[in-house]
Amino acid sequence: MASITLSKLNKHYGALHHAVKDVDLTIADREFVALVGPSGCGKSTTLRMIAGLEDISSGEIRIGERVVNHLPPRDRDVAMVFQNYALYQHMSVYDNLAFGLRNKRVAEREIKAAIDRAAEILGLHDLLKRKPRQLSGGQQQRVALGRCIVRNPLVFLFDEPLSNLDAKLRAQMRGEIKRLHAQLPTTSVFVTHDQVEAMTLGDRVVVMRDGSVQQVGTPLAVYAKPVNRFVAGFIGAPAMNFLDATVSAVGSALHVTAPGLDLAVGEERARGLTPWRGRRLVLGIRPEHLALGDGGPLGRTFDAKVEVVEQLGSEMLLEVRVGRARLTVARVAAEAQVAPGDQVRLFVPSGRLHFFDPESEAAF
Amino acid sequence: MPIVTQPLLFGRLPPRTRKLLFALFVSAICLLFAFPVLWLILTSLRPESGVYYVHRGTEFTLGNFLEVLQDERIEQAFANSAIIATLATFFSLLVTVSSGYMLSRFTGPAARTWFGTIYVFRCVPYISWVLPLYFVAQSWGVYDTYLGLLLPHIAVHICFFSWLMKGFFDGIDPSMEYAALIDGCSRWGAFLRVALPSAIPAIAALGVLCWLFTWNEFLFALILTGNRVPVITVVMAQFVSEMGLRWNLMAATAVMALVPAFLLALFGQKYVVRGLRL
Repeated sequence: MASITLSKLNKHYGALHHAVKDVDLTIADREFVALVGPSGCGKSTTLRMIAGLEDISSGEIRIGERVVNHLPPRDRDVAMVFQNYALYQHMSVYDNLAFGLRNKRVAEREIKAAIDRAAEILGLHDLLKRKPRQLSGGQQQRVALGRCIVRNPLVFLFDEPLSNLDAKLRAQMRGEIKRLHAQLPTTSVFVTHDQVEAMTLGDRVVVMRDGSVQQVGTPLAVYAKPVNRFVAGFIGAPAMNFLDATVSAVGSALHVTAPGLDLAVGEERARGLTPWRGRRLVLGIRPEHLALGDGGPLGRTFDAKVEVVEQLGSEMLLEVRVGRARLTVARVAAEAQVAPGDQVRLFVPSGRLHFFDPESEAAF
Repeated sequence: MPIVTQPLLFGRLPPRTRKLLFALFVSAICLLFAFPVLWLILTSLRPESGVYYVHRGTEFTLGNFLEVLQDERIEQAFANSAIIATLATFFSLLVTVSSGYMLSRFTGPAARTWFGTIYVFRCVPYISWVLPLYFVAQSWGVYDTYLGLLLPHIAVHICFFSWLMKGFFDGIDPSMEYAALIDGCSRWGAFLRVALPSAIPAIAALGVLCWLFTWNEFLFALILTGNRVPVITVVMAQFVSEMGLRWNLMAATAVMALVPAFLLALFGQKYVVRGLRL
């Protein structure tokens, strides 16, 4: 068991490409951390630097108390699951699982015991004699997980392990990884571009963009209090709605106004907004925080015109037009009588409004 | 508008006729390529008097083969060719496989320089190597020895086949090797224990190509060997002499030289196809 500490970690490819910029991150012992961001944000590079598959340009990586900067991968005591499974094609499943232990010259009897345990946990017993190419994608990824757990390493590293699976299998494997972590709590770093995976699996989520860490926090914190417009737009599905708006004073209260929309800001948000009086900002509203509400209090509602209705069975998604802006509305009751062209009144609680600086994109 | 799913060639004819025409067409092409070989086999079965009238007469004999087989020099040539081809294949695979792997997996000055070097050598016309090689072989004292013929062959193979090998390794997903590195292998260990076994079909294909290439090679053999190390391609050419042309004996030798190459190609074909597809 071990913590992982990244300090001022940098990766340059040549002079032009700065793939990872000053990443500072401490991952506690037994913690499950999800690195999430769009492709090319440096999350995989960061993971590969922890694994030792990629040189470090500057900075320091510690696993436990040990600085591992110059250690080859095999001396770092980590295990890794790859996107394309990376099973040894010419070996049986059993030999795949045994490979790491045999390299450590563990006695065959102990190897067998470890494989039995892993096969038990992952339900691999019937597959041990097969070759990887005889397995389905889900089975292959379970074998890859097994290859990690038989080694009983200090750290598990996951590099987009679910991306090659179809949607149904992905959800299933997500559950399996979660169960595995509960059963064998091991420090884990999970890289994904899918915010749902990051949110569901991570004890903490690390959102990255262009090589820098944007925000680190629990899934709920990242969702509720995104530090900037990028995080706000990346976390949550459907994505947050953004509108250009202006702050104005109406009597003693502050209002946020945009064409077709005039929302009174509750006292709890007003203090941060005072310096912005008379200025433009970006207003963010999550689709799931908009509700159809005719009877809502004044200053919390606005009118919109329905353009698109997407029926999902359990709920409806609406695309509506407010002034020049298009908004998505989620969690509309599936039975609601709404059709394209209808005028609806939408309600949003003032506590659910997000405000961003239009230049720096920072939230306040 | 109808959707055309078949070539329009003979499109108006009924399917059976079209198939027949197609079969005839394919057979004609095969015959075109096979014709010299068939003619060769026919010639090898004719008595000396009949070689200029292969298409006429009904006199056939196995005497040419018997005569050729009694010639010790030819037996020796067969043995030499086989030994040289096998050794050249073995040694060039040793270098080619690792050099192809390096070209595929590593970037950096060493790989770039190596790449540039073999690229340049590949661009040099084959025949322009021969004369310098002759002088080098003479001055090293390896003229007319196994070594003198082996070294140039290995060099040529390395230049030509490292590229093919690079292509094969490009097609093998490197994350398997990353997994091996994490699982306790060194870089060499990952290559030998994970990458290499996955490349076996490709290596087999390359082995077949190397062997055939050396077995069939004439130019180097002609210039770099003399009487001590006769090889089959050169011996065959020596039936053309001041004393006249022994077409029938040359054909018999050629047919015998075809056999090992033919067998190897036949059995190696599946590896070559699989390996090249990898």
